[in-house]
Amino acid sequence: MAGSEPVTSMQQMVSLEYKLRASPVAIDFAHKLVAGTITGHACPECGLVYTPPSGFCSLCVVPTNAREHEVEISDRGTVTAFTVVDPIQYPGQKEHGVYAVASIILDGASGTIGQQRLGDVDTDRVRMGMRVEAVWLPKEERKDSAAVRVGLAGAIRHWRPVDEPDTPLEEFSEHII
Amino acid sequence: MAGDVPTYKLEFPYKRSVGPIVGAFLTGLRDRQVLGIRTQAGRVLVPPLEFDPETGEDNVEWTRVGEAGVVRGFSWVEEPLPKHPLDRPFAWALVQLDGADTSLLHALDAGSRGAVEAGMRVRIRWAAETQGHMSDIACFEPEAG
Repeated sequence: MAGSEPVTSMQQMVSLEYKLRASPVAIDFAHKLVAGTITGHACPECGLVYTPPSGFCSLCVVPTNAREHEVEISDRGTVTAFTVVDPIQYPGQKEHGVYAVASIILDGASGTIGQQRLGDVDTDRVRMGMRVEAVWLPKEERKDSAAVRVGLAGAIRHWRPVDEPDTPLEEFSEHII
Repeated sequence: MAGDVPTYKLEFPYKRSVGPIVGAFLTGLRDRQVLGIRTQAGRVLVPPLEFDPETGEDNVEWTRVGEAGVVRGFSWVEEPLPKHPLDRPFAWALVQLDGADTSLLHALDAGSRGAVEAGMRVRIRWAAETQGHMSDIACFEPEAG
């Protein structure tokens, strides 16, 4: 680029490339998620259901595996906590409108999944106890690698409200984070 | 199995202010000229500094130096890394350009380790397009003949 103005600045890209070696449990979860099923592992001792599964129960310190301990988890659940984000437009920002992310306890799971994007709802209508369901990405947009990296967001676009009565607070009060 | 070791890239684009001295040097590169700065003692520094490192006195006078010079030292790189300026074996070389009293560090595309030696003459290979960046000098190459 031939310019006539004096050079006063330079672009510098600081970049880091890295590989993520996923665990076999995470890969198995990702395959099933991309195929359309949310799975978890039920601890054989205490019965708590973990999703996404980690391959062990951290309370009982016992291993779990898909063959013996897998359970299917519903793609419906309850918002236990949420944050409304009004994104600052810094350079590189990809979000342009107000949105909400939530912790959701899925039906059949013992704990919440965090950082879940809510959609098809005004942010001022989001509330604790609200019932939601998954809006799945079209199959061709789901990727194993994305599911390994970002969990449910690799296959689920967002969560939208469903026309059901709110879950009473006492049913999820232990899961408000 | 595909997809179990995905690669990610984390990038932060920065815009750095370069100041009046480096700025003038980069402006020169954009115009395919190498500018040095003369100290009050008369030495020519390339790359330029704002002050004479020996006395602390301000440097004020710009002077153009040659596009060719002499290798004063080098380090051979047999296996270039992704961010290196060349994708084949090369040397990092300290090149004292004609008219300069100091040396500039840059890549030297010499082909093989045996083709590099201190004292050899080299010349700038300019980038196809210059933009006011150190990479406007694509590398150095052995001076023909």
